[in-house]
Amino acid sequence: MQSKPIALTVLDIVSVIVLGISTYLALVFAPTEAVMGDVQRVFYFHIGTAWTGLLGFIIASIAGIAYLVSKDMKWDRFGVAAVEVSTVFFFLTIVLGSIWARPAWNTWWTWDPRLTTAAITELIYVAYFMLRQGLDDPEKRARFGAVYTLLGGPSAILTFLVIRLFRSIHPVLTNAAEKAQETMGMTGNMKVAFFFALFAFTVIFIDLIWHRVRLGSLQEKVEQLKLNASS
Amino acid sequence: MFLETTPNTYNYMVAGYVISFLTMGIYVASLYIRARNLRQDEQILEELQKSDPKS
Amino acid sequence: MNPDIFTPRDTARPSFPGAVLAIIQKDLTAEFRSRELFSAMLVFSLLVIIIFNFALELDITVRKSVAAGVLWTTFAFAGTLGLNRSMAVEKDRGCMDGLLLAPVDRSAIFFGKAISNLVFMLIVEAIVLPVYALLYNEMRILQPGFLGVILLGSIGYIAVGTMLATMSVQTRMREILLPILLFPIAVPVLLAAVKVSGGLIAGAEWPEILTPLNILIVYDVVFVSIAYMVFDAVVEE
Repeated sequence: MQSKPIALTVLDIVSVIVLGISTYLALVFAPTEAVMGDVQRVFYFHIGTAWTGLLGFIIASIAGIAYLVSKDMKWDRFGVAAVEVSTVFFFLTIVLGSIWARPAWNTWWTWDPRLTTAAITELIYVAYFMLRQGLDDPEKRARFGAVYTLLGGPSAILTFLVIRLFRSIHPVLTNAAEKAQETMGMTGNMKVAFFFALFAFTVIFIDLIWHRVRLGSLQEKVEQLKLNASS
Repeated sequence: MFLETTPNTYNYMVAGYVISFLTMGIYVASLYIRARNLRQDEQILEELQKSDPKS
Repeated sequence: MNPDIFTPRDTARPSFPGAVLAIIQKDLTAEFRSRELFSAMLVFSLLVIIIFNFALELDITVRKSVAAGVLWTTFAFAGTLGLNRSMAVEKDRGCMDGLLLAPVDRSAIFFGKAISNLVFMLIVEAIVLPVYALLYNEMRILQPGFLGVILLGSIGYIAVGTMLATMSVQTRMREILLPILLFPIAVPVLLAAVKVSGGLIAGAEWPEILTPLNILIVYDVVFVSIAYMVFDAVVEE
């Protein structure tokens, strides 16, 4: 294993610092929201994880195309890293959204297009890991993984569009949701916390992906060594 | 000013942040543990190769 | 030996439609001899409908609003059954290797397999729909527009399903994996199809079903093209 690059160590430290600042901004600096109270503070992390989660899935699709064109394993390592970190962040997004929804909408879950699409997208990427797990040949694993991320992207977009059509079935909840969004006008300090959370989670996201890519290279090396040892 | 009182949703906020840090912590730990296990495997395999260069 | 036997006509690559037709013909001939797949899909579909009847207490009022959902769920389940079987047969009997060795375009193999899977699904649907219409006295599901929606939905479902079944039979988990891979990806096509067919049963106006119909068509076009482009990557050895 090559020694840890200095840039990565620096990024680790920066990640911890921005996470700390973002937490401070969200918990202390931003004012308490009048209609929903303290729970509105989870919104900052919710939006941070949602943004990076989505970004990761887009990156994974691009890495999938790059792999299929170039057949270079580095794209596969990158794609897996992006999907894995995004899956963790997206899980957080859903859980935080649910925690927020309980006091705000008086329910843990609504079949709102955004929530439903998020849940289905999460399932697509859980399926992605199950697919990879079932394959022993690293080259085949990379190929199938790339194809699956390619199918997942457009499907998630269409899911969002189609579920929006079902909204009319749940008018009460969606109206409540819209009302909640209208009243969520952000004051200056809230905006600072909001944009800093976006920035902080992007930094953390890059840091985690970098670590995951390195883990992927190590995995590959060990697999190669095992092959050499058994032959 | 708002006449209605702001609801007390402090517990939900605490739960949200506890879960956030817990999940991220578990993920970082899993990255660390996986890397450590792989490095151990790597060492064992490299020693194996050194001690038995013919195979 | 007569050199004419080896004229280029005999050894030339078969044309693209020729190759597709040959694969369809192979699958249909095999199926019409054994009728394994077809009878399994059909009996399974009827059982699912019977279970839904009791699980949902399909009385007159409920029936109208859930008919589309019940039908599409049934078709989706029966579809996975058929897809798994059709790909597993190729894999187990080593037919896939034979197909891949044949001097035809890989995408011809995809279209051949996809179309024969589609034919099986359509035959099952062609029997299930009238039976459902009879059992529940719901003749609106036999109108031409409704059948068109069934066709559109089945095309998208089978295109993605054929891709994913080709992948899943090559994994360690095999049959178990297909629904897990397929259902989240097929959500938009199933929901759009349910929306359009539900609208048709309820006698909805044209503009009301236009958006989901468009999504259905977009899904078909997008996923058939993706499958066409990347099928090579899932059959390479």
